[in-house]
Amino acid sequence: MSEDLHSRIALKLEAVGPSVSIGLEIKIESYFDIVRGLIDDFASKRGMNCIYITSSVPSATLNSALQALEANTDGLRFIDCVSHTMMGAIQRVDNTVFVENPSMLENIILKVEYFLRLAGDKKTVVIFDSANSFAIHNDPKMLSEFFTIILNSLKAREAYPVVLMIPDQLRVEVKEMLGMVCDVIMPIEEERQS
Amino acid sequence: MASERERCVTGIEGLDNILGGGIPTNNIVLVAGSDGTGKTTLAFEFLVRGAVSGENGVLITTVESKSKLLANIPSLVFYDEKMLGKQLSIVTLKEMIDGTDKPFGKADEPGMDKIIASIEKLVIGAKAKRLVIDSIDTVLPDEKEDRLNTYFLTILSEMLHKHGSTAILVSKASTAESGIGSVVDGIIQMSNLERKGDLLRTMQVPKMKGTAHSRAKYVIDLTSAGVLVTTLLKGGI
Repeated sequence: MSEDLHSRIALKLEAVGPSVSIGLEIKIESYFDIVRGLIDDFASKRGMNCIYITSSVPSATLNSALQALEANTDGLRFIDCVSHTMMGAIQRVDNTVFVENPSMLENIILKVEYFLRLAGDKKTVVIFDSANSFAIHNDPKMLSEFFTIILNSLKAREAYPVVLMIPDQLRVEVKEMLGMVCDVIMPIEEERQS
Repeated sequence: MASERERCVTGIEGLDNILGGGIPTNNIVLVAGSDGTGKTTLAFEFLVRGAVSGENGVLITTVESKSKLLANIPSLVFYDEKMLGKQLSIVTLKEMIDGTDKPFGKADEPGMDKIIASIEKLVIGAKAKRLVIDSIDTVLPDEKEDRLNTYFLTILSEMLHKHGSTAILVSKASTAESGIGSVVDGIIQMSNLERKGDLLRTMQVPKMKGTAHSRAKYVIDLTSAGVLVTTLLKGGI
Protein backbone atom coordinates (compact mmCIF):
# COMPACT_ATOMS: atom_id res chain seq x y z
CA MET A 1 0.00 0.00 0.00
CA SER A 2 2.69 2.43 1.09
CA GLU A 3 4.86 1.51 -1.89
CA ASP A 4 1.93 2.36 -4.15
CA LEU A 5 1.52 5.77 -2.60
CA HIS A 6 4.80 7.32 -3.73
CA SER A 7 4.52 6.04 -7.29
CA ARG A 8 0.85 7.05 -7.48
CA ILE A 9 1.69 10.62 -6.44
CA ALA A 10 4.14 10.82 -9.31
CA LEU A 11 1.52 9.67 -11.79
CA LYS A 12 -1.02 12.10 -10.43
CA LEU A 13 1.36 15.06 -10.68
CA GLU A 14 2.34 14.07 -14.18
CA ALA A 15 -1.33 14.05 -15.17
CA VAL A 16 -1.74 17.59 -13.85
CA GLY A 17 1.32 18.88 -15.75
CA PRO A 18 3.51 21.97 -15.31
CA SER A 19 2.40 25.54 -14.57
CA VAL A 20 -0.27 24.38 -12.14
CA SER A 21 0.14 25.14 -8.44
CA ILE A 22 -0.89 22.17 -6.32
CA GLY A 23 -1.88 22.11 -2.67
CA LEU A 24 -1.12 18.56 -1.60
CA GLU A 25 -3.20 17.51 1.42
CA ILE A 26 -1.25 14.89 3.33
CA LYS A 27 -1.44 12.87 6.52
CA ILE A 28 1.54 13.07 8.80
CA GLU A 29 1.99 9.28 8.84
CA SER A 30 2.49 9.28 5.04
CA TYR A 31 4.96 12.16 5.13
CA PHE A 32 8.16 10.37 4.06
CA ASP A 33 6.34 8.29 1.47
CA ILE A 34 5.00 11.45 -0.12
CA VAL A 35 8.36 13.22 0.00
CA ARG A 36 9.93 10.19 -1.65
CA GLY A 37 7.21 10.15 -4.28
CA LEU A 38 7.78 13.81 -5.12
CA ILE A 39 11.58 13.77 -5.14
CA ASP A 40 12.41 10.30 -6.44
CA ASP A 41 9.42 8.92 -8.32
CA PHE A 42 8.36 12.20 -9.88
CA ALA A 43 11.29 14.65 -10.18
CA SER A 44 14.31 12.37 -10.41
CA LYS A 45 12.85 9.63 -12.57
CA ARG A 46 11.61 12.22 -15.05
CA GLY A 47 14.99 13.97 -15.22
CA MET A 48 13.83 17.11 -13.44
CA ASN A 49 15.47 19.20 -10.76
CA CYS A 50 13.79 19.59 -7.41
CA ILE A 51 13.94 22.58 -5.06
CA TYR A 52 12.77 21.56 -1.62
CA ILE A 53 11.90 24.44 0.71
CA THR A 54 11.70 23.12 4.22
CA SER A 55 10.39 25.03 7.19
CA SER A 56 9.45 21.93 9.15
CA VAL A 57 12.21 19.28 9.02
CA PRO A 58 15.95 20.15 8.78
CA SER A 59 17.48 19.39 5.39
CA ALA A 60 20.08 17.09 6.98
CA THR A 61 17.28 14.90 8.40
CA LEU A 62 15.50 14.79 5.06
CA ASN A 63 18.73 13.98 3.25
CA SER A 64 19.43 11.09 5.64
CA ALA A 65 15.89 9.75 5.29
CA LEU A 66 16.06 9.90 1.49
CA GLN A 67 19.39 8.12 1.49
CA ALA A 68 17.93 5.41 3.73
CA LEU A 69 15.08 5.05 1.23
CA GLU A 70 17.70 4.83 -1.56
CA ALA A 71 16.12 7.77 -3.35
CA ASN A 72 18.09 9.48 -6.10
CA THR A 73 18.92 12.99 -4.84
CA ASP A 74 21.18 14.15 -7.69
CA GLY A 75 18.97 17.01 -8.85
CA LEU A 76 17.76 17.91 -5.37
CA ARG A 77 18.43 21.35 -3.83
CA PHE A 78 17.33 22.39 -0.36
CA ILE A 79 16.32 25.78 0.93
CA ASP A 80 16.51 25.11 4.63
CA CYS A 81 14.59 27.64 6.75
CA VAL A 82 14.60 25.63 9.94
CA SER A 83 18.17 24.62 10.84
CA HIS A 84 19.25 28.16 11.79
CA THR A 85 16.33 28.50 14.20
CA MET A 86 17.49 25.38 16.05
CA MET A 87 20.81 27.11 16.87
CA GLY A 88 22.76 23.91 16.39
CA ALA A 89 25.86 23.34 14.33
CA ILE A 90 24.97 23.63 10.65
CA GLN A 91 26.54 21.23 8.21
CA ARG A 92 27.34 23.09 5.00
CA VAL A 93 26.59 20.98 1.95
CA ASP A 94 26.68 21.87 -1.72
CA ASN A 95 23.00 21.26 -2.46
CA THR A 96 21.68 23.37 0.42
CA VAL A 97 21.27 27.08 1.13
CA PHE A 98 20.05 28.33 4.46
CA VAL A 99 17.54 31.04 5.28
CA GLU A 100 17.62 32.28 8.87
CA ASN A 101 13.97 31.58 9.57
CA PRO A 102 10.68 30.89 7.77
CA SER A 103 9.51 34.49 8.18
CA MET A 104 12.18 35.77 5.77
CA LEU A 105 9.85 35.15 2.86
CA GLU A 106 11.57 37.47 0.37
CA ASN A 107 14.84 35.63 0.93
CA ILE A 108 13.09 32.35 0.18
CA ILE A 109 11.83 33.80 -3.13
CA LEU A 110 15.38 34.92 -3.93
CA LYS A 111 16.90 31.52 -3.08
CA VAL A 112 14.38 29.83 -5.37
CA GLU A 113 15.37 32.29 -8.10
CA TYR A 114 19.02 31.47 -7.42
CA PHE A 115 18.53 27.73 -7.89
CA LEU A 116 16.36 28.27 -10.96
CA ARG A 117 19.10 30.37 -12.55
CA LEU A 118 21.71 27.72 -11.85
CA ALA A 119 19.40 25.06 -13.30
CA GLY A 120 19.00 26.93 -16.59
CA ASP A 121 16.23 25.55 -18.79
CA LYS A 122 15.83 22.30 -16.89
CA LYS A 123 12.29 21.61 -15.63
CA THR A 124 11.97 21.97 -11.87
CA VAL A 125 9.65 20.74 -9.16
CA VAL A 126 9.41 23.19 -6.24
CA ILE A 127 8.11 21.79 -2.97
CA PHE A 128 6.98 23.94 -0.03
CA ASP A 129 7.12 21.92 3.19
CA SER A 130 4.79 22.94 4.64
CA ALA A 131 1.96 25.45 4.63
CA ASN A 132 1.38 24.51 8.26
CA SER A 133 4.85 25.45 9.44
CA PHE A 134 4.91 28.61 7.29
CA ALA A 135 1.61 29.61 8.91
CA ILE A 136 3.15 29.27 12.37
CA HIS A 137 5.84 31.82 11.53
CA ASN A 138 3.95 34.26 9.31
CA ASP A 139 0.96 36.52 9.29
CA PRO A 140 -1.71 35.08 6.92
CA LYS A 141 -1.76 38.24 4.78
CA MET A 142 1.99 38.10 4.36
CA LEU A 143 1.83 34.40 3.57
CA SER A 144 -0.92 35.00 1.04
CA GLU A 145 1.19 37.62 -0.73
CA PHE A 146 4.22 35.33 -0.65
CA PHE A 147 2.41 32.37 -2.18
CA THR A 148 0.69 34.54 -4.77
CA ILE A 149 3.99 35.98 -5.97
CA ILE A 150 6.09 32.85 -5.90
CA LEU A 151 3.47 30.45 -7.28
CA ASN A 152 2.66 32.80 -10.17
CA SER A 153 6.34 33.22 -10.90
CA LEU A 154 6.90 29.45 -10.90
CA LYS A 155 3.87 28.84 -13.09
CA ALA A 156 5.16 31.37 -15.60
CA ARG A 157 8.41 29.38 -15.77
CA GLU A 158 6.60 26.10 -16.34
CA ALA A 159 7.73 24.68 -13.01
CA TYR A 160 5.76 22.24 -10.87
CA PRO A 161 4.96 24.05 -7.60
CA VAL A 162 3.66 21.80 -4.81
CA VAL A 163 2.58 23.07 -1.39
CA LEU A 164 2.38 20.36 1.28
CA MET A 165 -0.40 20.87 3.81
CA ILE A 166 -1.87 18.91 6.68
CA PRO A 167 -5.47 20.13 6.46
CA ASP A 168 -6.63 18.95 9.91
CA GLN A 169 -4.03 21.17 11.56
CA LEU A 170 -4.51 24.31 9.48
CA ARG A 171 -6.35 27.40 10.66
CA VAL A 172 -9.46 28.08 8.60
CA GLU A 173 -8.16 31.37 7.23
CA VAL A 174 -4.91 29.74 6.05
CA LYS A 175 -6.82 26.87 4.47
CA GLU A 176 -9.05 29.35 2.65
CA MET A 177 -6.03 31.31 1.51
CA LEU A 178 -4.38 28.16 0.10
CA GLY A 179 -7.61 27.37 -1.71
CA MET A 180 -7.30 30.75 -3.40
CA VAL A 181 -3.60 30.70 -4.28
CA CYS A 182 -3.38 27.06 -5.41
CA ASP A 183 -4.96 26.00 -8.71
CA VAL A 184 -5.64 22.48 -7.46
CA ILE A 185 -6.08 21.05 -3.97
CA MET A 186 -5.16 17.39 -4.11
CA PRO A 187 -6.27 15.21 -1.16
CA ILE A 188 -3.78 12.34 -1.26
CA GLU A 189 -5.32 10.16 1.43
CA GLU A 190 -8.69 10.03 -0.32
CA GLU A 191 -6.97 8.92 -3.48
CA ARG A 192 -5.11 6.24 -1.58
CA GLN A 193 -8.30 4.74 -0.17
CA SER A 194 -10.18 4.69 -3.47
CA MET B 1 7.51 63.38 -28.59
CA ALA B 2 11.02 62.92 -27.19
CA SER B 3 12.96 59.96 -28.54
CA GLU B 4 13.82 57.12 -26.18
CA ARG B 5 17.24 57.48 -24.55
CA GLU B 6 19.80 54.82 -25.41
CA ARG B 7 20.30 52.39 -22.54
CA CYS B 8 23.27 50.89 -20.83
CA VAL B 9 21.77 47.49 -19.99
CA THR B 10 23.29 46.68 -16.61
CA GLY B 11 22.68 42.93 -17.04
CA ILE B 12 21.34 42.82 -13.50
CA GLU B 13 17.90 41.63 -14.51
CA GLY B 14 15.95 42.97 -11.55
CA LEU B 15 17.60 46.38 -11.78
CA ASP B 16 17.02 46.62 -15.53
CA ASN B 17 13.35 45.83 -14.93
CA ILE B 18 13.14 48.57 -12.30
CA LEU B 19 14.77 51.02 -14.73
CA GLY B 20 12.62 50.07 -17.69
CA GLY B 21 15.51 48.55 -19.62
CA GLY B 22 18.72 49.87 -18.10
CA ILE B 23 20.55 53.04 -17.12
CA PRO B 24 20.23 55.79 -19.74
CA THR B 25 23.65 55.92 -21.43
CA ASN B 26 26.05 58.60 -20.15
CA ASN B 27 24.20 58.91 -16.84
CA ILE B 28 26.20 59.24 -13.65
CA VAL B 29 24.52 57.11 -11.02
CA LEU B 30 25.19 57.31 -7.31
CA VAL B 31 24.94 53.95 -5.52
CA ALA B 32 24.59 55.01 -1.91
CA GLY B 33 24.24 53.02 1.28
CA SER B 34 25.80 52.03 4.54
CA ASP B 35 28.25 49.17 5.06
CA GLY B 36 27.16 45.68 4.05
CA THR B 37 24.30 46.72 1.82
CA GLY B 38 25.82 45.35 -1.40
CA LYS B 39 27.03 48.53 -3.14
CA THR B 40 30.41 47.20 -4.24
CA THR B 41 28.94 43.86 -5.36
CA LEU B 42 26.29 45.62 -7.45
CA ALA B 43 28.86 47.93 -9.04
CA PHE B 44 31.24 45.05 -9.75
CA GLU B 45 28.50 42.99 -11.37
CA PHE B 46 27.61 46.02 -13.52
CA LEU B 47 31.17 45.90 -14.89
CA VAL B 48 31.38 42.12 -15.26
CA ARG B 49 28.03 41.94 -17.07
CA GLY B 50 29.28 44.68 -19.35
CA ALA B 51 32.50 42.80 -20.03
CA VAL B 52 30.52 39.66 -20.88
CA SER B 53 28.34 41.61 -23.33
CA GLY B 54 31.31 43.32 -25.00
CA GLU B 55 31.37 46.63 -23.13
CA ASN B 56 34.72 47.29 -21.50
CA GLY B 57 34.78 48.68 -17.98
CA VAL B 58 37.10 50.38 -15.52
CA LEU B 59 36.87 50.11 -11.77
CA ILE B 60 38.74 52.70 -9.73
CA THR B 61 38.97 51.35 -6.22
CA THR B 62 39.95 53.88 -3.61
CA VAL B 63 39.33 51.94 -0.43
CA GLU B 64 40.50 48.38 -1.06
CA SER B 65 43.36 46.62 -2.76
CA LYS B 66 42.50 44.66 -5.92
CA SER B 67 43.07 41.30 -4.25
CA LYS B 68 40.94 42.18 -1.22
CA LEU B 69 38.17 43.54 -3.42
CA LEU B 70 38.05 40.39 -5.54
CA ALA B 71 38.22 38.15 -2.48
CA ASN B 72 35.28 39.89 -0.80
CA ILE B 73 32.92 39.76 -3.77
CA PRO B 74 30.78 36.62 -4.18
CA SER B 75 32.37 34.44 -6.86
CA LEU B 76 30.11 35.19 -9.80
CA VAL B 77 29.54 32.20 -12.08
CA PHE B 78 29.79 34.43 -15.16
CA TYR B 79 33.03 36.11 -14.05
CA ASP B 80 36.26 34.95 -15.62
CA GLU B 81 39.52 36.32 -14.25
CA LYS B 82 40.85 36.34 -17.82
CA MET B 83 38.70 39.47 -18.21
CA LEU B 84 41.12 41.36 -15.97
CA GLY B 85 43.34 43.72 -17.89
CA LYS B 86 41.25 43.19 -21.02
CA GLN B 87 37.52 43.85 -20.86
CA LEU B 88 37.77 44.74 -17.17
CA SER B 89 40.45 46.98 -15.67
CA ILE B 90 40.80 47.48 -11.94
CA VAL B 91 42.91 50.43 -10.86
CA THR B 92 43.69 51.56 -7.35
CA LEU B 93 43.72 55.23 -6.46
CA LYS B 94 47.46 55.01 -5.91
CA GLU B 95 48.01 53.58 -9.40
CA MET B 96 45.86 56.32 -10.85
CA ILE B 97 47.86 59.00 -9.04
CA ASP B 98 51.18 57.41 -10.02
CA GLY B 99 50.05 57.34 -13.61
CA THR B 100 49.68 61.12 -13.80
CA ASP B 101 52.44 63.50 -14.80
CA LYS B 102 51.70 66.00 -12.08
CA PRO B 103 50.37 65.72 -8.51
CA PHE B 104 46.68 66.40 -8.09
CA GLY B 105 47.36 69.41 -5.92
CA LYS B 106 44.74 71.28 -3.95
CA ALA B 107 41.07 70.42 -3.68
CA ASP B 108 40.08 73.15 -6.08
CA GLU B 109 38.91 73.37 -9.68
CA PRO B 110 42.37 72.83 -11.22
CA GLY B 111 42.81 69.87 -8.84
CA MET B 112 39.48 68.44 -10.00
CA ASP B 113 40.53 68.91 -13.62
CA LYS B 114 43.62 66.80 -12.96
CA ILE B 115 41.57 63.99 -11.42
CA ILE B 116 39.17 63.99 -14.37
CA ALA B 117 42.10 64.03 -16.80
CA SER B 118 43.58 60.93 -15.17
CA ILE B 119 40.17 59.19 -15.17
CA GLU B 120 39.76 60.08 -18.85
CA LYS B 121 43.16 58.59 -19.57
CA LEU B 122 41.95 55.32 -18.03
CA VAL B 123 38.66 55.41 -19.92
CA ILE B 124 40.41 56.03 -23.24
CA GLY B 125 43.10 53.43 -22.56
CA ALA B 126 40.55 50.76 -21.73
CA LYS B 127 37.96 51.91 -24.31
CA ALA B 128 35.59 51.81 -21.38
CA LYS B 129 31.85 52.13 -21.79
CA ARG B 130 31.37 51.58 -18.07
CA LEU B 131 33.11 53.28 -15.20
CA VAL B 132 32.86 52.62 -11.47
CA ILE B 133 34.50 54.71 -8.76
CA ASP B 134 34.37 52.94 -5.40
CA SER B 135 34.20 55.03 -3.41
CA ILE B 136 33.61 58.55 -4.62
CA ASP B 137 33.82 59.72 -0.99
CA THR B 138 37.59 59.32 -1.15
CA VAL B 139 37.98 61.12 -4.47
CA LEU B 140 35.91 64.16 -3.66
CA PRO B 141 37.61 66.56 -1.27
CA ASP B 142 34.54 67.16 0.83
CA GLU B 143 31.22 65.53 0.07
CA LYS B 144 29.41 68.58 1.44
CA GLU B 145 31.36 71.01 -0.72
CA ASP B 146 28.55 71.61 -3.20
CA ARG B 147 30.35 73.97 -5.56
CA LEU B 148 33.34 71.69 -6.10
CA ASN B 149 31.21 68.56 -6.24
CA THR B 150 28.99 70.11 -8.87
CA TYR B 151 32.05 71.19 -10.83
CA PHE B 152 33.56 67.70 -10.60
CA LEU B 153 30.38 65.97 -11.72
CA THR B 154 29.82 68.43 -14.55
CA ILE B 155 33.21 67.84 -16.10
CA LEU B 156 32.97 64.10 -15.40
CA SER B 157 29.62 64.08 -17.18
CA GLU B 158 31.09 65.94 -20.18
CA MET B 159 33.98 63.52 -20.34
CA LEU B 160 31.70 60.44 -20.14
CA HIS B 161 29.41 61.87 -22.81
CA LYS B 162 32.40 62.37 -25.09
CA HIS B 163 33.32 58.71 -24.75
CA GLY B 164 29.80 57.27 -24.61
CA SER B 165 30.35 55.89 -21.12
CA THR B 166 28.06 55.36 -18.14
CA ALA B 167 29.28 55.66 -14.56
CA ILE B 168 28.44 54.34 -11.14
CA LEU B 169 29.79 56.25 -8.17
CA VAL B 170 29.71 54.32 -4.92
CA SER B 171 29.19 56.25 -1.71
CA LYS B 172 28.81 55.31 1.92
CA ALA B 173 26.97 58.52 2.69
CA SER B 174 23.20 58.48 2.61
CA THR B 175 21.78 60.54 -0.25
CA ALA B 176 20.31 62.96 2.28
CA GLU B 177 23.77 63.64 3.72
CA SER B 178 25.61 63.55 0.45
CA GLY B 179 26.00 66.80 -1.42
CA ILE B 180 26.25 65.01 -4.74
CA GLY B 181 22.84 63.33 -4.52
CA SER B 182 21.21 66.38 -6.05
CA VAL B 183 23.65 66.71 -8.96
CA VAL B 184 23.99 63.11 -10.17
CA ASP B 185 21.63 61.79 -12.86
CA GLY B 186 20.44 58.84 -10.85
CA ILE B 187 20.43 57.40 -7.36
CA ILE B 188 20.27 53.75 -6.33
CA GLN B 189 19.75 53.63 -2.61
CA MET B 190 20.93 50.45 -0.89
CA SER B 191 19.73 49.84 2.67
CA ASN B 192 19.22 47.35 5.43
CA LEU B 193 15.60 46.91 6.47
CA GLU B 194 14.94 45.48 9.90
CA ARG B 195 11.69 43.58 10.26
CA LYS B 196 10.97 41.74 13.49
CA GLY B 197 14.68 41.32 14.13
CA ASP B 198 15.47 40.10 10.61
CA LEU B 199 17.73 42.21 8.43
CA LEU B 200 16.84 42.39 4.74
CA ARG B 201 19.04 44.01 2.10
CA THR B 202 16.98 46.44 0.04
CA MET B 203 17.36 48.53 -3.09
CA GLN B 204 15.35 51.54 -4.24
CA VAL B 205 15.70 53.94 -7.16
CA PRO B 206 14.35 57.33 -6.08
CA LYS B 207 15.86 59.15 -9.06
CA MET B 208 16.94 58.26 -12.60
CA LYS B 209 16.93 60.92 -15.28
CA GLY B 210 15.94 59.92 -18.78
CA THR B 211 13.66 57.01 -17.97
CA ALA B 212 10.40 56.15 -16.29
CA HIS B 213 11.24 53.82 -13.42
CA SER B 214 9.84 52.08 -10.39
CA ARG B 215 10.31 53.93 -7.09
CA ALA B 216 9.32 50.98 -4.93
CA LYS B 217 11.62 49.28 -2.44
CA TYR B 218 12.92 45.84 -3.40
CA VAL B 219 14.68 43.10 -1.47
CA ILE B 220 17.96 41.85 -2.89
CA ASP B 221 20.30 38.92 -2.39
CA LEU B 222 23.97 38.76 -3.31
CA THR B 223 24.64 35.38 -4.88
CA SER B 224 27.07 33.70 -7.23
CA ALA B 225 24.36 34.05 -9.90
CA GLY B 226 24.52 37.82 -9.37
CA VAL B 227 22.41 40.35 -7.50
CA LEU B 228 18.88 38.96 -7.34
CA VAL B 229 15.90 41.23 -6.82
CA THR B 230 12.36 40.64 -5.61
CA THR B 231 9.50 42.79 -4.46
CA LEU B 232 9.22 43.72 -0.79
CA LEU B 233 6.24 41.95 0.75
CA LYS B 234 3.83 44.24 2.57
CA GLY B 235 1.31 41.76 3.89
CA GLY B 236 -1.69 43.56 2.45
CA ILE B 237 -0.90 46.72 4.40
